[in-house]
Amino acid sequence: MPKNKVVPIAEAMSPIRSGMSIAIGGFIGQGDPLTLIDHLKTIDVKDLTIYENDGGFHDRGTVELVNQGKVKKIVASHVGTTPDIGEAMNEGRLEVVPTPQGTLAEMMRCGGAGLGGFLTPTGVGTIAEEGKQVVELHGRRYILVEALRVDVALIRAHSGDTWGNLIYRGTSRNFNVVAATCADYVVAEVEDLYTLGELDTNAIHTPGIFVDAVVRADIGYCKLREEKFDD
Amino acid sequence: MTDAKSVIAARAAKELKDGQVINLGIGLPTLIANYVDHDVDVVIQTENGAIGVGPRPQPGCEDRDRANAGNQPITLIPGGSYFDSATSFGMIRGGHVDATFLGTLQVDEQGNIANWVVPGKMLAGMGGAMDLVTGAKTVYIVSEHCAKDGSSKLMQRCTFPLTGAKECDVIITERALFRRYPDRGFVLEEVACGYSLDDIAACTDMAYTVADDVKLDAYGEVEHEAIAT
Repeated sequence: MPKNKVVPIAEAMSPIRSGMSIAIGGFIGQGDPLTLIDHLKTIDVKDLTIYENDGGFHDRGTVELVNQGKVKKIVASHVGTTPDIGEAMNEGRLEVVPTPQGTLAEMMRCGGAGLGGFLTPTGVGTIAEEGKQVVELHGRRYILVEALRVDVALIRAHSGDTWGNLIYRGTSRNFNVVAATCADYVVAEVEDLYTLGELDTNAIHTPGIFVDAVVRADIGYCKLREEKFDD
Repeated sequence: MTDAKSVIAARAAKELKDGQVINLGIGLPTLIANYVDHDVDVVIQTENGAIGVGPRPQPGCEDRDRANAGNQPITLIPGGSYFDSATSFGMIRGGHVDATFLGTLQVDEQGNIANWVVPGKMLAGMGGAMDLVTGAKTVYIVSEHCAKDGSSKLMQRCTFPLTGAKECDVIITERALFRRYPDRGFVLEEVACGYSLDDIAACTDMAYTVADDVKLDAYGEVEHEAIAT
């Protein structure tokens, strides 16, 4: 394992090629790796397949890559916070595969843990079982879901060190933890960078073994929802 | 409209029991937290990765790393914690969440729920709803009785793609409360103040039976005020 994984962002992102599959952490802006996404906007790639809970929030996040025409397909649980994604889908510019949130998280977890797949009761009797094998076990029906392996994962953490040990903060942990495990190559952006030994070893959420490149997050988050829900 | 939502949220809050862990969907279900009795302590889980959700922070005290599944800023009560998405849905699918309250587009007499997509309309997605209706011990549908066009949301059979098959346990609308039993299907147990049994029959397409001890003029004081305003 390299002792220092901190590299310039251009170097960290250089392995990304057209046609790759990319898992992205975050949850409608909470813990979204916006520094990395912004850099991806400057790279000439296309036909990406994105696995992410959502497409970002309003006009920020993966939706920007969709608007640039870089994304072929997005596998997500919810794209309602980014109207441009729904529009791209309706116009046939983007394939969206709606996937239950817990199923997507578990696909990443299993892929990262070396498992072939898992049996979930979620979605039995709905379109979530279309094209999938349904297995009956002890009288209950389950959908057999294949584990996910991707080429690249892009994640964001609050604190990190030069080995890529990561600590998240609050609800920004979300999909970052599992996305970090299921990719051949993982780039993490961190807000605060520490030298080895400075992080509390009992508090590390993602051990550095999962991370290949660390860059400094130089972009804040997109805004929280300001308006109250009306319905 | 706001009145109906308050009525539903206040009645739903009365279902809560001390010590329960609950998950509230986005929109109307979020209002339920405002009506919980003072002597009932419930623990709120939000599927993006927190348990022990407390009141909304004071203006200026919002924290970008502390938000709920609707991206609204939150606080945590003492004892609360944060976790990742796989752990969160382990809690949900694993039966550790006592109840979930969700809005809906349609619900039918078999307990089928359709609340994530209208065919032909802009796609949002199911988010965590499919996992929640599958894993939570009790699934409450809290919704206005009729759609905007006046048609009953309580149908013989859902026509939109399902969120969950036979998962709904209780339906609470501004007009009535139905509870589903394995041997009887949905039973009308309460009729809100201002409605008669005939009114409910006229606006309900799903089959149901009326409880022998059906409560008329139900839903209590708060709702009377809400209806009056």
